[in-house]
Amino acid sequence: VASQPSASSCTIEQKRIGEIEVLSVAGVVDMLTAAQLGDAIAVAGRKSPRGVVVDLGAVDFLASAGMGILVAARDELPASVQLGVVADGPATSRPLKLVGIAEVVGLHSTLDDALAALTA
Amino acid sequence: MDAIAEPESAAQIRRDFSEWLRRFFTLDPTKSSDVVLAVNEAMANAAEFAYVTVERSGPMHVRADYDGSAATLIVTVTDEGAWKIADPATKGPSRGRGIPLMQALADRTTVESSPAGTRVSLQWNRVTAQDCGSRTT
Repeated sequence: VASQPSASSCTIEQKRIGEIEVLSVAGVVDMLTAAQLGDAIAVAGRKSPRGVVVDLGAVDFLASAGMGILVAARDELPASVQLGVVADGPATSRPLKLVGIAEVVGLHSTLDDALAALTA
Repeated sequence: MDAIAEPESAAQIRRDFSEWLRRFFTLDPTKSSDVVLAVNEAMANAAEFAYVTVERSGPMHVRADYDGSAATLIVTVTDEGAWKIADPATKGPSRGRGIPLMQALADRTTVESSPAGTRVSLQWNRVTAQDCGSRTT
């Protein structure tokens, strides 16, 4: 799942680790690219995973539009599918904590931590 | 900077503004990130809400003022539309974080609406320029 919108670039790579769908996101998640992330999460959720991990480790800009997608994804995924977010740093984990999203979705500082939490 | 209030121009201004911050100021990564995100949210609101009731998007104006003696940076984002923000009960949980986010990120946030448009002003204190001698204010 990769595309180059006119003004913002966001690439999303999907892989499966055991029963977990992992989406590795790189670039910018803003008004222009947030829907792309929402679509990727929805597709991953339909593959009967135990959980979906959205790894924002290579994201250098995350706007509220992207945060909204994460909250909406929690509502839209089946209750049986866990959702974890990997974020660390001023551009991602800081704003997610500031607006209280860390309380809605599981926030982890590394992919290993997220996988451990979702497979525990 | 003047532009049409649309997501594409907001993204372009965001990149130009980040570059300007890097060139002229010595901000730590957290503050730099905070300033860029807050300015983005102000532009996103203009792009999303200002011209909802009319057929095509109108202008937004982005202006940054730095006061070296007070060490304050004030960024204003102005549009000439009427914000139409959905009822909190119907807009859903994925929306409505822009203003709380700006308030958390900036030292001072004001949003003033009038029939002429909406003006968002974001202020940061203790902002130091890279080289005061070479700057004109």
